[in-house]
Amino acid sequence: MNTSEPQTGGVVIENLSLSFGANEVLKGVNLDIAEGEFFAFLGPSGSGKSTLLRAIAGFGPTPKGRILIRGQDIARLPPWKRDVGMVFQSYALWPHMTVRKNVAFGLEERRVPRNQIADRVNAALDMVGLRDLADRRPSQLSGGQQQRIALARTIVVEPKVLLLDEPLSNLDANLRIQMRREIRELQRKLKLTTIFVTHDQEEANTTSDRMAVLDQGVIQQVGAPMDLYDRPRNLFVATFLGTANVIRGGPETVDGRPAFRSAHGALFPLAGDGPHGDARHLVIRPQNVHVAAPGTAPGPDAAGGDTALEGRVDHKEFLGGVVRYGVDVQGDMVLVDDPHSMGHAVFEPGDAVVLSLNPRHMTLLPG
Amino acid sequence: MKKRLLPGLVAGALLVLSSHAMALDGTLTIVTSYPTDTTNTFKAAFEKKYPGVTVEMLKKKTTAGIKYLQEIAGNNTADMFWASAPDAFEVLKADGLLAKYQVKVQGIPEKVGAFPINDPDGYYKGFAASGYGIMWNTRYLKAKKLPVPKEWDDLKDPVWFGHVGMSAPSRSGTTHLTVETVLQGLGWEKGWAEWKAIAGNFKTVTERSFGVPDGVNSGQFGAGIVIDFFGLSSKASGFPVEFAYPKVTTLVPANIAIVKNAANQAAAEAFIEYLMSTEGQELLLDPKIRRLPVNPATYAKAPAGFPNPFEDSSIGAAVKFDLDLSKGRYNVVNALFDVMVTYRMDDLRAATKAVQDARAAQAGKNNAAAMALIDQAEALIAAVPITEAQAGEKGFNAIFKKARKKASTKVTGRQAEIEAEWDAVVVANYAKAKELAEKAQGM
Amino acid sequence: MLSLYRGYGRVAWVALGLAAFLLVFLALPILKVVFVAFQDPHSGALTLLNFADFFGAALFQASFLNSLYVSGMSVLLATLIAIPLAYYTTRFNFEGAVLIQTLGIIPLIMPPFVGAVAMVLLLGENGSVNLLLDEHFGFTIPFMRGLNGVILVESIHYFPFILINLSAALNNIDRAMEESAQNLGCHGSRLFRRVVFPLAMPGYVAGASLVFIKVFDDIGTPLLLNINNMLAPQAYLRISSIGIADPMGYVISVILVVFSIFSLWVSLLAMRGKDYATVQKGGGGLARRDMRPWEKVVCYAIIIVILLFVLSPHLGLTLLSFGTIWSFSVLPDAYTFDHYLTVFQSAFGYVTNTLLYAGIAAGADVVIGTAIAYIVLRTGLAGRKWLDYIAMGALAVPGVVLGIGYLRTFHDFQVPLVDKPLASWWVIIVVALTIRRLPYALRACMAALQQVSELLEEAAENLGATKARSVRRIVVPLMSGGILAGFITSFATASVELSATIMLVSNESDAPLAAGIYEFMQNAAGRGPGAALGMIAVLIVGLGTYLSHVVIERGKKSREATSIVGEETAT
Repeated sequence: MNTSEPQTGGVVIENLSLSFGANEVLKGVNLDIAEGEFFAFLGPSGSGKSTLLRAIAGFGPTPKGRILIRGQDIARLPPWKRDVGMVFQSYALWPHMTVRKNVAFGLEERRVPRNQIADRVNAALDMVGLRDLADRRPSQLSGGQQQRIALARTIVVEPKVLLLDEPLSNLDANLRIQMRREIRELQRKLKLTTIFVTHDQEEANTTSDRMAVLDQGVIQQVGAPMDLYDRPRNLFVATFLGTANVIRGGPETVDGRPAFRSAHGALFPLAGDGPHGDARHLVIRPQNVHVAAPGTAPGPDAAGGDTALEGRVDHKEFLGGVVRYGVDVQGDMVLVDDPHSMGHAVFEPGDAVVLSLNPRHMTLLPG
Repeated sequence: MKKRLLPGLVAGALLVLSSHAMALDGTLTIVTSYPTDTTNTFKAAFEKKYPGVTVEMLKKKTTAGIKYLQEIAGNNTADMFWASAPDAFEVLKADGLLAKYQVKVQGIPEKVGAFPINDPDGYYKGFAASGYGIMWNTRYLKAKKLPVPKEWDDLKDPVWFGHVGMSAPSRSGTTHLTVETVLQGLGWEKGWAEWKAIAGNFKTVTERSFGVPDGVNSGQFGAGIVIDFFGLSSKASGFPVEFAYPKVTTLVPANIAIVKNAANQAAAEAFIEYLMSTEGQELLLDPKIRRLPVNPATYAKAPAGFPNPFEDSSIGAAVKFDLDLSKGRYNVVNALFDVMVTYRMDDLRAATKAVQDARAAQAGKNNAAAMALIDQAEALIAAVPITEAQAGEKGFNAIFKKARKKASTKVTGRQAEIEAEWDAVVVANYAKAKELAEKAQGM
Repeated sequence: MLSLYRGYGRVAWVALGLAAFLLVFLALPILKVVFVAFQDPHSGALTLLNFADFFGAALFQASFLNSLYVSGMSVLLATLIAIPLAYYTTRFNFEGAVLIQTLGIIPLIMPPFVGAVAMVLLLGENGSVNLLLDEHFGFTIPFMRGLNGVILVESIHYFPFILINLSAALNNIDRAMEESAQNLGCHGSRLFRRVVFPLAMPGYVAGASLVFIKVFDDIGTPLLLNINNMLAPQAYLRISSIGIADPMGYVISVILVVFSIFSLWVSLLAMRGKDYATVQKGGGGLARRDMRPWEKVVCYAIIIVILLFVLSPHLGLTLLSFGTIWSFSVLPDAYTFDHYLTVFQSAFGYVTNTLLYAGIAAGADVVIGTAIAYIVLRTGLAGRKWLDYIAMGALAVPGVVLGIGYLRTFHDFQVPLVDKPLASWWVIIVVALTIRRLPYALRACMAALQQVSELLEEAAENLGATKARSVRRIVVPLMSGGILAGFITSFATASVELSATIMLVSNESDAPLAAGIYEFMQNAAGRGPGAALGMIAVLIVGLGTYLSHVVIERGKKSREATSIVGEETAT
């Protein structure tokens, strides 16, 4: 396998729309995926992420718009002329062929000479560490092994782009973590542009260079995982990428400083002085809120000009690493994650507490 | 079929409880080879006359009926046997499975054609006469421009190639009778030659005797060798068919007998008397039945053109049928016919076609050598693997009797083995005949 | 031995009772047949002579080869009919799919031997079609000549088995199987040859082996077409004309059974370990596309030709049942209702007998099927699997063989009170039908029981219901859809069964529909009423098939509903 000189290329998607009958499942998608990038499509089921991936591979109805790989529009080519490798969710290993036959299939279709096929198949099997199983049937393999064979079968043909459709969803939790590392390593080694579909944000966060969050056929936001987590551009991205406190209300100016007043009346001073005219939601993640007993020292960021809010513990959940409190602040329920360590003080429902929040951790979103 | 199942069962159960009752009641079980139209008509009429009796018709082909009665003999449940072929009754009589009975009805002659109507020993009674003949489909003949066949010889004509049907004698008692009649009328060798010459024109040998009238009726083939009532009743049902008796035929009585140890002797006797009475005899003229009554008075009521053997002496008078001879080689004749004709139809047809073609090609050429070859080919087709004497030999016939009387009974040779031997000879003969005829054609 | 069964109380006794029933009415008669086949008819000693005779006799060699040839050709022709139909429904968005589904049911509601008579009149050498061809074009087509007729009738009748299995196999292929091949550069006929066809193969083989064995065992069709040099008719003829002592009938029976087992084994082999039904959520079946206009023309042309053939028995039978005289003519001379009148006046006993027999048999089948399913799936009784195996073994027993086995085994057994040998009592027909249809009912019951979670039963027991009561109140009601479907299928197919009953009917008033039709067809005046009776048979089976379809569809819908609920709660 020739890894020194990758055949790979970037993928540019321009204004791609796609309908199943009257049902428009992709609505004007634009994306620019760089060469060698590991890119994730993240979204709930029905968001169109799989449809988008399948459109790149050439399955499903013909879309409107363009899909460019190394500058060539492939949107209207049949699947077998695209040179885009895809690993299916179910692996789709052909049960009537041995592992070797499965892996050799694509090379045979490409009329690669026989002696080369054997070498390349062996190399691909070595790459996934399963050369010993070459003569088995897929049904004799474990889920993880099948996954590796499916991967080997796809990369052996050296596609320009590698597409992974929920590749880890059929594996158990431990194997999933191991496999995603392996896939990532392999991808780095091959420097292969890879697009990965998942509904699991942890999977997307851990593997991808960048990701696109999709909902209802529209790309909601594109960026590096941490950027999206910290600076979601809309409510969907904010809530989809983890637990968030979303407080409804509107901007106000208090003492000449910008602030946000919740619908129930609690006041959150904001950082800076930019215009917040259209802000209708204040988003802050629970781990960015600190809790303390009234009168005790404020949290670690107290020096940063934190806002202190008084409230009362409504309920508590012990999650292992943290204790999550639901704190009633003038009628708004604010979730707070308090890191747990042995002997650390625990509040009980009914206890009065003080919350401290840093305005820099807050994201304001329009309605 | 009119009676439901339960009443029958109840009646059966009652019969068991009151088997000595004198009045006519209970179930009368008749083993018969007759078609539904016949059995239903008699069943209905008889049950009307004797409301206490339920008639059960057990439908068996003649040969199967014999087997059935033999097998249930130890624990008999049947009352009567009702079928056409007298030789079937002879077999049962010989096995001691029939009971003697003297008919009370008067006015039935001794003989029909050359055949005595009743068993001289008094075991079975003729109630109707039937003879074999030829039926043909008039539309078929017209469409294919075929002549009307009147005699067996007519069916040998090459124009009939592929237009004739017949059932196998091993499947149908009456067909057996016809085969036997021709064998007796023309002699063993000539008789078989006649049959094979006709058989060479066969389109099919049907398994069921009704397969022949069925084929003629629907026009699948033009002419069939059938028993008269099939032809007559088909015509009466409206099919465009005709029927005629050839000269060489036997009018044989269709018979009925009471089974030994009958469960319902009284009802069985009543049934025979009814069958012989004017009332019962007239039912035979029913368009769906159409059998020749044995009571000559009945013919007064017959439709115009209905054959009357008591007036037309040409019907069935040519052959004096030897029942003992027939009985002595019953199974061997059946097996021979099957081996030579039924199962080797394709070979026989091919050979016959070759001979017919050769004759046509040589017609008027006066080529003696060719004609000699053709005659030789015909002789090969006609050849029979065994002689008449051997066919009638007792020990030889025993091989073809399947029932094992005692474990110690010694039988040399098995039917399958002997049939395989015959088959080899027959196939070789047909192949050779074809070869010779083809050679002759080219000369 | 009973210690193995301790703890199951009455269930164990039920199991033993079922085992006894199956042994007496299935295993014993078959063993008897096999035994007689190896017995010297004269001395009673064990011997291979009968088989030597069989294979030495040219007739039997020919019959054997003919049976193989006819079965093989029927499979081939049925395949040729089924492949385009399966292809069109699974590959295209095709509005004629309903037509094809109908095509797949129509033949099944016509007993093949009934269709045979009608097809001779339409397609025979001097049938309507050939008369027309001869008149207008001067040539004829030997559709029905010799073995052709059997092959045509059988393949028209049995192709749905291949169609159904093949379509199911194609629909069960995970679409990703096809897509991954396309993704790797494979398409068109190569895709079909390398991926689609091998994946559909097990389903095809299962259907094909079923067709093979059905044809191999069929007795009525060759008999009514006057073809006797095939194995199954030979067995019937030997037994019925030479007698139940003739060893050849038994040898043929053994050969029929061996072939049945062989083809079942082939289909098992094809299916085992190759359960390719790997459908993912929403990914079932091949990708479908719309047809181009010219494709549509070709497609409809093919379907119409097949439809004409498939409908020919029905058309012929209808004409025959209403026609007066139909002889050497394209159509009957005139039309009448008389035949139906005849049937209703004098032959309705066949219908009532059939309803009674098939009703009892189907009822017994679902009761036995439910009991066996429960014992096998829900108890730990030792040897319980054998109940299943033996009951399913009935699949491998041709009707003729079962009939012969009953005749031979129960001939000397006198039924008390009735005073008849069991072999000639009408109940034996019901027993034969019960055994013959048991495998189908059993599978339906097994499937139905597997749908019922064991938890539901445990919940009932937890609330104080005894085992028997929880079965009666929870399990059976939940299985009712499947049981009903099993009942109707058994009923409909049992009502036209000929091969076993023809051997066992000893009394006309006991005869069921199929035997009645066969009987009517033996009279000059009986063809019309026979056809009318045939139409009634078609109606009964058609109605039964429709009902079971409705029941199964309803069951499917309610299951889909519950599974949707299940998925929603899972996410």
